Amino acid sequence: MKKRKEQKELSSVMTRRMVMLGIGQGVLGTLLVGRLYQLQIAQNESYRRLSDNNQFDQRLVQAPRGRILDRKGRLLAGNSEVFELRMLPSRIKNPKAWLQRVSRLITLKQEDIEEILEKIADQPSFLEVTVKSNLTQRELSRLAVLSPVLEGASFQKSYKRIYPQGWMTAHVTGYVSPVNKRDIEGQPDLRYLPETRIGRTGIERKMEPDLRGLFGFERVEVNAKGKPVRVLRDKQANPGADTYLSIDIEAQSFATERLRRGRWQAVPVHRAEVQEALMQDAELRAHVAMGDDLVLKDEKGRLVPPESGAVVVMDIQTGEVKVMVSTPGFDPNLFSNRLSIRDWQRMNTHPRTPLLNRAITGLYAPGSTFKMVVLAAALEAGVISPSTQYECSGAFEFGNRKFHCWNERGHGFINAEQSLERSCDIYYYQIALKTGINRIHDMARRLGLGDVSALGLVSEKQGIIPNRDWKLAQRGVVWTPGETVVAGIGQGFVLTTPLQLALMTARIANGASAITPSLVAQNDPQITSAFAPLDVPADIIRFLHKGMRKVMAGGLGTARKYDIAQGIAGKTGTVQVKRITKAQREKGIVDNIDRPWKERDHALFVAFAPYKNPRYAISVVVEHGGSGSSAAAPIARDILDFMLATDGVSA
Amino acid sequence: MILRIFQLLYRLPWLLLLSVGALVMVGTLALYSASEGAWSPWAERQMIRAGIGAMLLVVVALIPTIWLHRLSYWGLAMAVVLLLVLPFIGTGTGATRWIEVGVFNFQPSEPAKLAVIIALARYLSSQTPEQVQSLISYLPVVLMLGIPFSLVLIQPDLGTSFMLLTGGLAVVFAAGVPRRYVVSAMVLAAAAAPVLWSQLYDYQKARIMTFLNPEADVLGAGYQITQSKIALGSGGLFGKGFLQGSQSQLNYLPEKQTDFVFTMIGEEFGFIGNLSILLIYFAILVSVMLISLRCQHRFGRLACMGISFMLFLYIFVNIGMVTGLLPVVGAPLPLISYGGTAMLTVFIALGVVVNISIYKKVQDSDFY
Repeated sequence: MKKRKEQKELSSVMTRRMVMLGIGQGVLGTLLVGRLYQLQIAQNESYRRLSDNNQFDQRLVQAPRGRILDRKGRLLAGNSEVFELRMLPSRIKNPKAWLQRVSRLITLKQEDIEEILEKIADQPSFLEVTVKSNLTQRELSRLAVLSPVLEGASFQKSYKRIYPQGWMTAHVTGYVSPVNKRDIEGQPDLRYLPETRIGRTGIERKMEPDLRGLFGFERVEVNAKGKPVRVLRDKQANPGADTYLSIDIEAQSFATERLRRGRWQAVPVHRAEVQEALMQDAELRAHVAMGDDLVLKDEKGRLVPPESGAVVVMDIQTGEVKVMVSTPGFDPNLFSNRLSIRDWQRMNTHPRTPLLNRAITGLYAPGSTFKMVVLAAALEAGVISPSTQYECSGAFEFGNRKFHCWNERGHGFINAEQSLERSCDIYYYQIALKTGINRIHDMARRLGLGDVSALGLVSEKQGIIPNRDWKLAQRGVVWTPGETVVAGIGQGFVLTTPLQLALMTARIANGASAITPSLVAQNDPQITSAFAPLDVPADIIRFLHKGMRKVMAGGLGTARKYDIAQGIAGKTGTVQVKRITKAQREKGIVDNIDRPWKERDHALFVAFAPYKNPRYAISVVVEHGGSGSSAAAPIARDILDFMLATDGVSA
Repeated sequence: MILRIFQLLYRLPWLLLLSVGALVMVGTLALYSASEGAWSPWAERQMIRAGIGAMLLVVVALIPTIWLHRLSYWGLAMAVVLLLVLPFIGTGTGATRWIEVGVFNFQPSEPAKLAVIIALARYLSSQTPEQVQSLISYLPVVLMLGIPFSLVLIQPDLGTSFMLLTGGLAVVFAAGVPRRYVVSAMVLAAAAAPVLWSQLYDYQKARIMTFLNPEADVLGAGYQITQSKIALGSGGLFGKGFLQGSQSQLNYLPEKQTDFVFTMIGEEFGFIGNLSILLIYFAILVSVMLISLRCQHRFGRLACMGISFMLFLYIFVNIGMVTGLLPVVGAPLPLISYGGTAMLTVFIALGVVVNISIYKKVQDSDFY
């Protein structure tokens, strides 16, 4: 009986216990349902976002940079497709070891690795870092074999900036280089575009906003190992706009070669005498090391590098710059990727500063090319008339100083027109004194000197056209008449750029409009009406034209040997870079060619052509080239001849 | 004869069997999706195993209950032997858990769980009410539970060993162990916890620490939990669609064919899909418990009770794990996860349940 009862009791205990366990299970089961509700319903939004983040690597797509073309659509700067290796730091545990491993497959210098590591430390780990752009075919195939085990690596098609004309247009196009830290400080958005190249000089810099384009946006579906599965384009990259320049590459290349050759003969670089000269001449060596194989032989039989200097040719109606040459040049392609330290040093230690754009940054005393300005100012002021004569005896004493004419024997009695033709210095000492520096300054400014132009290139120099206020402000002392005398022949304080000299000549040639230079092709035929009037009396302009024509065509013209059928009007300029002392003068002046290169005169020449119906204005500067008539004028003649022939302009 | 067959069919626990069928189907589809829409390597093999499992279920269901009772100790003995020889003939990465039998990986700890439950059911059901009250009669329980527990623990397989222990203790609890023992056992367990902790392997500690704070190491040990939660959470109410789960299809989700299969279903079929599975499990557990309550003999009641609890443990630990409620321990989702031993064990266990539900007239006294 008792057993029965106990049995029953145990049975009910068991049932109770089972129900307890069942209830416990029910509670825990409900907990699971609650948890699922929490994850899948309540927090669905945030988990969906996390899942998308997992699924997609968001990437900015580089926009191809706009091309730079010449006026006829020939390529000056473009893009070539290259493959580059990138790494995603967030998927790589030890980036240093990873890079070391990669460096066994591709050329990767220790300094590059350090730079990359620095970059990784600087930016968020979900941003890709370029390990190497411009992979060679061989590197690409080596990496491809290993890519399954190279976690976090990706290959990207990218664009490399190329300049097919190389150093021929280097100073016009300028160059681009990768985004650096300073750029990011200015524009934080750039940090997400590590592949962007930014224009540093020239048109690349000026037109940067147009050229860069708008980056696109894509999501790359990736699996858990970071391997892309498919790509969703959310926003197409918007390529940068092409820029058509006013430059005519045909004329540009002709002018470059012509300027470089100067008066001398080219010598094949492989000749024994060249190799010998290279051993001794550090300057020649620096020149050849830049990858240039033009070596010249001067009239004394010495081997010399090509001439350095500048040529600017402008359309006198539109102000378009058709030629802008500065030599020596450099290869802008070198900057597109990481510039090697060696190349950088080569360019920076080169004795003739290839990075300097002489056409707009080079400052030269205009010398006798300034005489049109002085003459115009004198005529306008009425201090002389075209028939006013002065006697040139070869020297001019003023105060206690003696000012010499380039022609020591003197020109005798000459009038205004003859003064230009023969470039008599005494005449200009006289009329400069009569006119006064302020009026000369005023005329120079009207003709486009002494200020930066509308080109918009940052490295452009404004030059110096002095007046009384300028002297007082800059030097703290008053202007002296002796300084006016020197300014009368474009020396002393006066400094101009080759571009300004071309502009001055173009304004004289145009006569009516104060045209402004531009490097961008002008398609608007009405452009001339947009220029302000020149505000120089027409009879003075006509007189200048006649005088400049005499330089070429007159029996005693300083450049009489260098006229062409269509007729050139020009002016030579020979600029001393070193004062000639009294002792030297008494001993007899040493010929340019016998002085050290650095002490030779600069050779200048400005001109416009055709004389009757002007199209082009040109300025040529040959650094330490000797006299303007023998070194610069023939270069200008050949370039004008070439360009007019190309245009089909006959006499 | 025909009448008897009809009677038998009528007495079958249909809800239970249909639910099992449904789960096998869901599991096959999930595995089809886990291999990115292919029958191989998992789905087709899972179906074959389910077929074998169904046959085992029928066999176990039809043999006389008394045979089960008699075989129970032998079953436990065999399980212990297998666990003992496992270190010498077994394989596994990091821990020795499997015996390779041809192409088939046999995992002795799975049937061990069932063997322990049935053996405990037999032992405890043989105790008189007085013996149930006395401490000395629990000594064999300690051995029957302690030996397989220890053997699984040293494999090492923390999760399975604790599930085995908990399942066994549930049977002991259901058998009517006096309340004072339950309380003192709990106190003892609490006291032993720190000692046990110090005995854990580093990776086991790491897993537990990870469980406590999975976001601390997203790409390391917390990766699985984090990705699993993302997959589940991004599934939402209706899911991303069959074969459309980005987490699963792009391999962010680890072990999606085994322990994390529930997550994959959740990503592709959403809250609705997960809830449906939970409802099917609920149907199975309730069926088994009802069979347990209706059973005339203590052996059957305890065996069914233990089996239902074991199934519950699997489900709870697995889902708790994938939802980040519990640490990551290897616990398959019954009848859905890819894994032969676990699936066959569940089929055999359900065979035992069906057996007990068919032979209703069996009494405790029939066993002796």
